[in-house]
Amino acid sequence: MSDAGATIVGLGLSPQGRRLGFSSRELRRQAIDAALNDAGLRREQIDTCICFGAMPEDLRYAGLSPRMSFALSSGGASPALSVVVAAGLLATGQAEYVLSVYGEAFTGDAPKLEPNHGGAGRSDIGGYSYGYPYLYGLVGPGAVYALAARRYLDRFGASSEDLAAVAVVERDHGSVRPGAIGYGQPITVAEHQASRMIVDPLRLLDCSRPTDGGAAIVLTSAARAADCAGSPVEVLGAGCGHNITNWWDGTMVSRFGAAPDAARRAFGEAGVGPEDMSSAQLYAPFTIATLLQLEEYGFCGEGEAPAFVAEGHTAAGGSLPTNTGGGQLSGFYATGFTPLSEGILQVRGQAPTNQVPDAELCLVSGSGGNGGVHGSWAHVSLVLGRPR
Amino acid sequence: MSAPRPYPGDVAPDRVDEEFWEGCRQGRYLLFRCTTCDHAVWPAGGCPRHGLAPMVWKEATGQGRLHSWTVVHQRYANSFADPPPNVAVVELDEGPLVHSTVLGAARLELGMRLEVFFEDIGQGVVLPVFRPTAQEGESTGPG
Repeated sequence: MSDAGATIVGLGLSPQGRRLGFSSRELRRQAIDAALNDAGLRREQIDTCICFGAMPEDLRYAGLSPRMSFALSSGGASPALSVVVAAGLLATGQAEYVLSVYGEAFTGDAPKLEPNHGGAGRSDIGGYSYGYPYLYGLVGPGAVYALAARRYLDRFGASSEDLAAVAVVERDHGSVRPGAIGYGQPITVAEHQASRMIVDPLRLLDCSRPTDGGAAIVLTSAARAADCAGSPVEVLGAGCGHNITNWWDGTMVSRFGAAPDAARRAFGEAGVGPEDMSSAQLYAPFTIATLLQLEEYGFCGEGEAPAFVAEGHTAAGGSLPTNTGGGQLSGFYATGFTPLSEGILQVRGQAPTNQVPDAELCLVSGSGGNGGVHGSWAHVSLVLGRPR
Repeated sequence: MSAPRPYPGDVAPDRVDEEFWEGCRQGRYLLFRCTTCDHAVWPAGGCPRHGLAPMVWKEATGQGRLHSWTVVHQRYANSFADPPPNVAVVELDEGPLVHSTVLGAARLELGMRLEVFFEDIGQGVVLPVFRPTAQEGESTGPG
């Protein structure tokens, strides 16, 4: 990678969990300060701020003085997408130090959804509707994952127990990670099977749930990274894809979005393949997303993900420990910052638990945004590694 | 149905689809098709090769196969008194994947042949829903 190559030099995480009692803005402020401290940078050195959603008060509240500040709106793909955007800004010299920050307090003031006709201006479909499919009751974040799961199980003769195996591995990871929402709470397949149905065939233990938390990263060029205090992690490859492709070709219920474009480009830029990854940190708020991505990234063949998980590859000590912090199912849900932050920690060798030995290369994915009738998520793939 | 439920204007207030909903009221199932290459979409949108300009509503077969389905048990929203029976994705014979509900099927099997019919849900709204085709039985191909 050239001197301009994007390098993550700071990572900041606020506490993550249920009902923390902090405002969204305060969670972002905590994450920003932690990331600056981690990078050893002064706040006035940040010249570019990338946020998610409109946060007009944040710059003043955090005492920041960037010359450029804007929001990305691509749902769970936004954090990884911010890395792609930052790489471009750094490469063209428009930016020297880029801050990307997220923070939400979902559980402090959960929105009460209301019926969506009859006036009053409020709608119960908000960001979790898919347009016309809601006429038939399709609503909620898990619904399109459920449609994908049904089709996957049918196509490959897989079962709810195969989804359970993913949940068990991820809960195992989370159960040993202090601060994870699943800390001290491993589950069994039987417990998964006994959990209530949420969106058929997805059960409660197939699902993540919102948590409060803030997360921030600071990026700069490879050349400047040498002057920063933190442990640098280089963005060796990146790729973007969009499920609109899958809408056009009729595979929208069968694919998650890494294929055909994002994975290939990210591995290609890095000059590596799936077999070179030390771990994978996947955007997977529902178990089916892990199975689909293991296949789309080429860690195993089509229809082989259940066996890949059953053989222990994704578990601690396996060939591809996956979502080693518990992921979104039992770690915390900070949208795309859940996999991104764990990927950074793994490459640094700083994961508090489940650190993969010699974790030189890590795949990180992000997915989300732009739902609609076609469920057209964006997907972003990153290959992170130690500076070469 | 007394429970609140959404109507087309609530979820996608899109005038370009008005002809489709009028078709449903008349018992006609329409798809938006490209007059250049016949590519079919629903709801209204552009052809990926020729854009929006050559698109027109044309009567379709209303036939297809079950592509996937789910039942939303979780009460994410206050609409619908009970879980709707199912949300199905139907692959129409003309190509598009459309969301709907399958009624009158003892069990749902991917690949089963379906045909459209129309359900009046009040307030002047008629929804297309699907049921197993009359001939459905021995030979259902793969989804």
